[in-house]
Amino acid sequence: MYEALLGTIFAAIVAIGLALAGVLIITIWKKDRTRKLSYLRLFIQVVSLVGIFISFTMALWLVAFFLVIFAVTLFSGRFFCGWVCPFGFYMDLIAMLRKKLGIRYWTLSDRVNGALNRLRYVIAAAILVSPLLVGALTITPASQIQFLFLRGPYHSLNLFLSPLEPLIVPWTGALANLGFVDWSFSYPYTRDIVYYINIPVVTSVLIYIFIGLTLVSTFMYRRFWCRFCPTGITLAAANRFKAFKWAPVLHINKTEEKCTKCGICKRVCPVQVTEVYEQKGGDIKTSMCLNCMRCVEMCPYEDCLKVNLGGKTVFHSRNWLEPSNIE
Amino acid sequence: MKSQSAEKKYLPDMPQKEVEELNASVKAASERIMADNIERMKKTDPNRPAAMQYFDEVSNFFGMRQKEIQEAKAQGRKVIGYLCVFAPIELILAADAIPVRVNSGWYDTSKLGDRIVPVEVCPVIRSTIGAKMIDLSPYLELSDAVISTLTCDGQTKLSEILSDAKQMWIMTPPRVKDSAQSLHLWKEEIKAIKTQIEKLTGNKITPKKLKEAIETMQKATKAFRRLQDLRKGNPVIMGRDAMLVNQMSMWDDIKRWTKKTEALCDELEKRAEKNEWACPPDTPRVIVTGTPMFWPDNWKLPTLIEEATPQGILVGDELCSSDRVLYDPVGIDEWTMDDMINGIAERYLMASTCPCFTSKDGNEDRVNWLLNKVKDTKAQGVIYYVIRGCMLYAMEYSRVKKALDKVDIPVYYLDTEYTREDVGQMKTRVEAFLEMLSARVDF
Repeated sequence: MYEALLGTIFAAIVAIGLALAGVLIITIWKKDRTRKLSYLRLFIQVVSLVGIFISFTMALWLVAFFLVIFAVTLFSGRFFCGWVCPFGFYMDLIAMLRKKLGIRYWTLSDRVNGALNRLRYVIAAAILVSPLLVGALTITPASQIQFLFLRGPYHSLNLFLSPLEPLIVPWTGALANLGFVDWSFSYPYTRDIVYYINIPVVTSVLIYIFIGLTLVSTFMYRRFWCRFCPTGITLAAANRFKAFKWAPVLHINKTEEKCTKCGICKRVCPVQVTEVYEQKGGDIKTSMCLNCMRCVEMCPYEDCLKVNLGGKTVFHSRNWLEPSNIE
Repeated sequence: MKSQSAEKKYLPDMPQKEVEELNASVKAASERIMADNIERMKKTDPNRPAAMQYFDEVSNFFGMRQKEIQEAKAQGRKVIGYLCVFAPIELILAADAIPVRVNSGWYDTSKLGDRIVPVEVCPVIRSTIGAKMIDLSPYLELSDAVISTLTCDGQTKLSEILSDAKQMWIMTPPRVKDSAQSLHLWKEEIKAIKTQIEKLTGNKITPKKLKEAIETMQKATKAFRRLQDLRKGNPVIMGRDAMLVNQMSMWDDIKRWTKKTEALCDELEKRAEKNEWACPPDTPRVIVTGTPMFWPDNWKLPTLIEEATPQGILVGDELCSSDRVLYDPVGIDEWTMDDMINGIAERYLMASTCPCFTSKDGNEDRVNWLLNKVKDTKAQGVIYYVIRGCMLYAMEYSRVKKALDKVDIPVYYLDTEYTREDVGQMKTRVEAFLEMLSARVDF
């Protein structure tokens, strides 16, 4: 039953991917200079969604995948969050729907945002550790195999991978809940709680609350979950090393003289990173940045913001003033 | 609109006959000066671009543009004047009104302004008052309302004085840019102005219309930047010509202006290919910064620079009457009404390099702008132009000088008045500076 369903979803995703690729081609053809990178990103997100979906059921693949991402993040920042993560893609789709409806996002006030920046490691640690504590109380000798594959109570250990799991988040979560099938398919954070509190009514309520909250919050705030996602924060912690000179691989670089502080970079950032705006030139030091490069794309001053990869400029802000006719 | 019979708080009740006489004489003098200025520009660059012909026509205050606006007004369109580049042009365009800048550049009227305010006051302010007293400026006369931004003390009181005769909409820009509350205040100001504009014109500013207006301005910015980029290389156009083009963007129909400027750029590009320069490529390159200069009378300094021996060329400026007008675009991520208003608010406040701002790190924006401009245009010297009474620019001089000294660019502080009497003396000063610049090149 599962295989058939997954097959249908897979086919649908491939179809959507192809359609989006078509949009991308048309867009580039129309020379909309402020959106080229955004559409490329969308395309890559779809491709990675398909890729992850294929490797999804194979635990070893996931571990390998995770190791590669973690290693690359050490040098280049949270590109995973902006370009690969399926949950991020899902949030981008919600943002697109919101744009279509002509509703503006909300923004966290500077004070809340600042507090969140300081607290997000604490929040992430709490989310990471709490299932482990509960899990430690229930270890039995029989669960050794489960431990090996990070299954059962040890599932929380692969929280690093958790955004990879709920490919179509509300749906698989809800399905697992309704059918009471294998928990490993349901939404990870609720699942860990659900695993220990095995009362059907409580679990379904919890799951729907979680799904509802993520949906509504993402509709209101851009990329809301990214701001304290445990995976993201883990990657952000790895990303901190990027500040060291010995790993100057991927950086957003700012030329202070060209900046007129127009504030566009600050406004377009989906996770409200202020460093690009505030920092006085040089490589931007922030662990929050998702590397979506929207700021570089939207900066209207030639060469003011640059994306440097290994010391070479791969993308830079341009005088994009050719108004878009799309959207 | 405020009725004319209401008691005037500042403006004197001048006899109609005197007003008419003064108007006629100043207007005649002004027409002569405009023609003379254009004649001299033609003489400086005998090979002047043919596309400049159009801008010469528009630059005539009492010519075709005045008639056009009159006709548009007869058809029910509203005209909204503005005294400062802080006024949100996009909102005016979105309401199908005509934006025109109403600052005055007439020397003669500044003497009339002396009757109301003391001579210590900035001549731009005095001249604008004088122009109103004798109903000289056609754009000020035609405007249904005037947006005034309280950037300096002069502007603050000017809006009060002009309120005797015009409906004034006053906007307060915060004096600090980089704080959340000042942006909030400015956003509210923009929203208030939007309501005012909607009320006056009777047209609702819909997201669709606003988007169109923003895109119109983006296209204008594109053409504008193209012209500035062309000035970075060998001199394809004299600085005065470019300045005239830039300034006309504030008075002309912006769509037509964009088209004509693109045409001018096409012509200039062809010239550059053929290595036809407006003046010898080794002419000292100069940037002017400071108090705004307005057409037609206050064309003194650019004329002096480009007609001096040794000749200099203006490759750029940092004036809110020229290179700063259209440099920054409104960048929008999501085309919702709120985001567009935010974008407009940020473009006019944050990107401004007006010296009226201060900040805890010493208001670096203007200095950075200037340094970048010097680097981009390969300018060899900067003339810091201040008219007496312009406190903000005068006080920032030492800071700008220090920054430019660091990159080894000589700065010259030139102070003057709204008068033709000191032309001879200024000529000596400018020529000495230019000679020093060309001597530096020779080394």
